[in-house]
Amino acid sequence: MQDSGRTAPIMARSGLSEAAFAWMLISPALLFIGVIVAWPLAETIRLSFTDATLGGESYVGLANYAALMASPKFYDTVARTFYWMFLSVSLKLIMGLIGATLLNAAIPGKALFRILVMPPWVIPVAIGVIGWKWMYNGYFGLISGLLQEFGLVQDRVALLASKTSAFYSAVVTDVWVGTPMVTLFLLAAMQGVSRDLYEAAWVDGAGRWYRFRRITIPQIMPVIVSMALLSAIWTFNSFEIIWILTEGGPRGATTTLIIDTYKVAISSQRFGEGAARAVVIVTLLALFSLAYLYFLNRVNRYYGAK
Amino acid sequence: MARLELSHLTKSFGTAKVLHGIDLAVRDREFVVFVGPSGCGKSTLLRIIAGLEEASSGRILIDGVDVSRAAPVDRGISMVFQSYALYPHLTVFENIAFPLRVARLPEEEVRQKVGRAADILQLNDKLHLKPGQLSGGQRQRVAIGRSIVRNPRVFLFDEPLSNLDAALRGEMRVELSALQRDLDATMIYVTHDQIEAMTMAHRIVVLNKGRIEQFGTPMELYHHPATRFVATFIGQPNMNLLPATVVGTGPDGLTVDITGGARITLPVAFGDAKIGDTVEVGIRPENLTLGAGLTMKLRVLERLGGVAIAYGVMLGGPKICAALAGDSLLHEGEDIGLSFAPQDAHVFDANGAVMPRLQAPSLADEQRK
Repeated sequence: MQDSGRTAPIMARSGLSEAAFAWMLISPALLFIGVIVAWPLAETIRLSFTDATLGGESYVGLANYAALMASPKFYDTVARTFYWMFLSVSLKLIMGLIGATLLNAAIPGKALFRILVMPPWVIPVAIGVIGWKWMYNGYFGLISGLLQEFGLVQDRVALLASKTSAFYSAVVTDVWVGTPMVTLFLLAAMQGVSRDLYEAAWVDGAGRWYRFRRITIPQIMPVIVSMALLSAIWTFNSFEIIWILTEGGPRGATTTLIIDTYKVAISSQRFGEGAARAVVIVTLLALFSLAYLYFLNRVNRYYGAK
Repeated sequence: MARLELSHLTKSFGTAKVLHGIDLAVRDREFVVFVGPSGCGKSTLLRIIAGLEEASSGRILIDGVDVSRAAPVDRGISMVFQSYALYPHLTVFENIAFPLRVARLPEEEVRQKVGRAADILQLNDKLHLKPGQLSGGQRQRVAIGRSIVRNPRVFLFDEPLSNLDAALRGEMRVELSALQRDLDATMIYVTHDQIEAMTMAHRIVVLNKGRIEQFGTPMELYHHPATRFVATFIGQPNMNLLPATVVGTGPDGLTVDITGGARITLPVAFGDAKIGDTVEVGIRPENLTLGAGLTMKLRVLERLGGVAIAYGVMLGGPKICAALAGDSLLHEGEDIGLSFAPQDAHVFDANGAVMPRLQAPSLADEQRK
């Protein structure tokens, strides 16, 4: 009532209907979203039906998609991307949970530890990853050096040179970069759990592990699930870590969808084919997010009732 | 069920001393209430008994066994928290069953014990619900249910009713008293509400600034408050304290001049009080009647129906409050005369210690409800 009381004179003066007035109010935001999100998305979809290169473009229908569907390499890339995401997100969550639990424990100097967790997140990703690249290096890398020092290997190990070790090395670095944020979010959630619940459980004889399992985990479950979703999307699209370490190599061992897309669209300047890949990524992530949000909703309903 | 003894219990947080040598003996099957203003140390004392805090010194004995260093679960206590501390993700059944699950009892026994607790607390049709779907009173009952199933030797309650609205609080008070009788258990109950203390306790511990001011039955505290603090804390509305000067001592008691009022001889054991000492005469609002002696300028009159509470000031300044007959014909702003029977008065010396009354009502010396 108050609102219409205030807006009515404006509408009367300008001769606008209520709906038109409402559209007018949201038009700046709409324009912004249109330019930043909707137009690039539409343009990407349009491009994916062309054979656009620097030289020009012409409509090719579903040819780009057909080529993707027919390519076993592309299926490998999709599978690798999901494996990459699953492994990295799982590790980030497990490490984050362990880290948050330790930081939440009543230990002396925990404020200091809380600060010490931050560097991987605070250091610019490129700098941190270059550091890792050096550590992985076979000639002057720290890891290879230590392994030889302790006699675990005879010869130099160039971790980024072989397919399997390059993939897992990239995972380790990605986990290193991604864990602090997960840790801090889970820590915040843990600190939000009422102390009374722990005390009540303690009075009833529940030990540390029991309290963790039956109070902490259920209480922070909604945060774990949302962190898993966010982390999954970021990891799926994680580009710079892999690019700096291996550029997707050796022989495609670390090529995820986003790396593949970049290589095709930007390095090879085959915009049409790149756009088709981008559309596949958007579709996969959208489906993934939908499933996840459905799941999150159920988790919240189960654990959320205070 | 069990006896509980505390001996020389102290507690400091850093340099702040919150409990100064508490000595207390709670009898088997007794309902004892710790009462006091916020910050008096009552919750800390309860948490020490529970084992959630460690005492800085002193001992806790349950049935004669020193449990000062024992884990909460090994003390045979259970605790109901002010916030209820229910697990939001578990059903009412699992909340009540929690201690039994911790103890890994067989499913059959769990069902049986939870069922019995639910019977006592009338929660049978709520067992499948989550705490979020319950009302405040029902949540409170679930919290009590969780403490019942363990068959503790001592029940501890930390302000369990303070999150409830007034009507429900009155109801739960009656339920808790009945529950104590049914379970025939030793219970320690912490509250800041003197009405809860008066209505439920067998004996009340009045705490002030980390010390026990007095430990006794409700009527003992009401009729024989040991200190000025207890006198003003127990009883509603609060006891009036009227400054007075000693003008005579004799076999009938102490003769005083009440500032702005009359000269009166009060039957108290005045000890070494001398003429000229400053004392305070305590008189409960319900012991004042319309009459002659004290003059009060009536400021506010609250009519509760059966009684009318008159608030005002006496000549010379002290505030005074009287609980008068509900139909008293009085008007705000007028001067009214009040009187009281000398044997109803309490006298406190300059340190706040009481001069024992010589004529006490019969119930005052009853040892247990």
